[in-house]
Amino acid sequence: MRTPGPDHERWADAVGSYLLDALPPEERDGFASHLEACPVCRHDAEELGVAADALPLSVPLVPPPAALKDRIMSVVESEAELLAAAGRGADEPPRERASKRRGFLGGWLLRPGIALACAAVLLVAGGLAGSLLAGGDPEPRTVVAQTTAPGAEVRLEIRDEASTLVARGMPAPPGDRIYQVWIKRPGRDPEPTSVLWSTRDDGSAEVAVPGSLEGVEAVLVTDEPQGGSEAPTAAPVITAETA
Amino acid sequence: MQLVRRGNAPAFEVIYERHSQAAFSLAYRMAGTRGVAEDVVQDAFLSIWRSGARYERTRGSVRTWVLGIVHHRAIDALRRSFVHERRRASDEGIEERLETGERTDVEAARHEEASTVRTALGHLPSEQSQVIELAYFGGFTHTEIAAMLDTPVGTVKGRMRLGLEKMRHALGTGQVSLG
Repeated sequence: MRTPGPDHERWADAVGSYLLDALPPEERDGFASHLEACPVCRHDAEELGVAADALPLSVPLVPPPAALKDRIMSVVESEAELLAAAGRGADEPPRERASKRRGFLGGWLLRPGIALACAAVLLVAGGLAGSLLAGGDPEPRTVVAQTTAPGAEVRLEIRDEASTLVARGMPAPPGDRIYQVWIKRPGRDPEPTSVLWSTRDDGSAEVAVPGSLEGVEAVLVTDEPQGGSEAPTAAPVITAETA
Repeated sequence: MQLVRRGNAPAFEVIYERHSQAAFSLAYRMAGTRGVAEDVVQDAFLSIWRSGARYERTRGSVRTWVLGIVHHRAIDALRRSFVHERRRASDEGIEERLETGERTDVEAARHEEASTVRTALGHLPSEQSQVIELAYFGGFTHTEIAAMLDTPVGTVKGRMRLGLEKMRHALGTGQVSLG
């Protein structure tokens, strides 16, 4: 015999709606909390969940276009390379890493998306170190970028092969979006890059911009859905003109 | 999934190959256009790539997990879109879209389990299958459905539950593999 949880009378008829993702947003969290505390509703959800889980199987099968896989794998492979460059521990939870690297990267290596930003940062560091060791020119040409984020300061440090966007006081991307870097050449649409990033808790970031910026008019940053986009879906939040 | 969690791209590709057709089919069914369906699937799979650690084997198969993510993303897209606003304003438009979704896929392969589930869904009283379709495939909340059908919210919730109970009974244990 299961004992109903608190507020069971209020929520008892919402199980079906919950399983079908039909709860209004303002009720979703309330029901989820109730579910954790109510063995009766949890049992109902498990029983009826079998039917709800079967619903997508009723759909006639339609093959996805091959180009979709190409797009997805392109992002995945580039991010896998960045993660590999950052080291195996880059996507570990911060608590595990804190003891090893406390005080350096702190606790912001929480998600692969952040880890990717970190990977870009590490690549910057690696590139700089390599440049210094090779006796190359460590002094970048710096331009101040325009940003729509109030109070933020962003600059672009331009080097031959490893330019860097440096942000301070920059807000994190809204919702579950992510910042994406674009290359703008004269008379052409912005070209996507695989550089996806977020900010640290203190609003700072150092982001590697791949390749030479010769012939590039501006480096742009927009916020995009996770995974980035092929074309900007939002106005630039950062515009760094190279001239 | 262990390898995906470690950032192994070939392992992720296997997951994509195995589940992308079901994912795209669900997204297409819900969104009604290939373009939006592609966006939904891309968004969902990149989310999976970046959050593989969130999969818990004890809570169901990988396919159920993947399709659940696709469903959430498709609902987000529907609720954001102008299309959803337009459909919300016209009950006839909704019915037309749902029927069209059936007709446009006549050339697609039909899996046996799909037939079983469709039969179970088809045997429900129409007022129960209607609210389930509007909610699951249409992305509408029970409040929106109640307003569309001019029916009390409690009645809509009751029909959803009853419909799922009958489907569960019709499917029976083990008749439809979700793995």
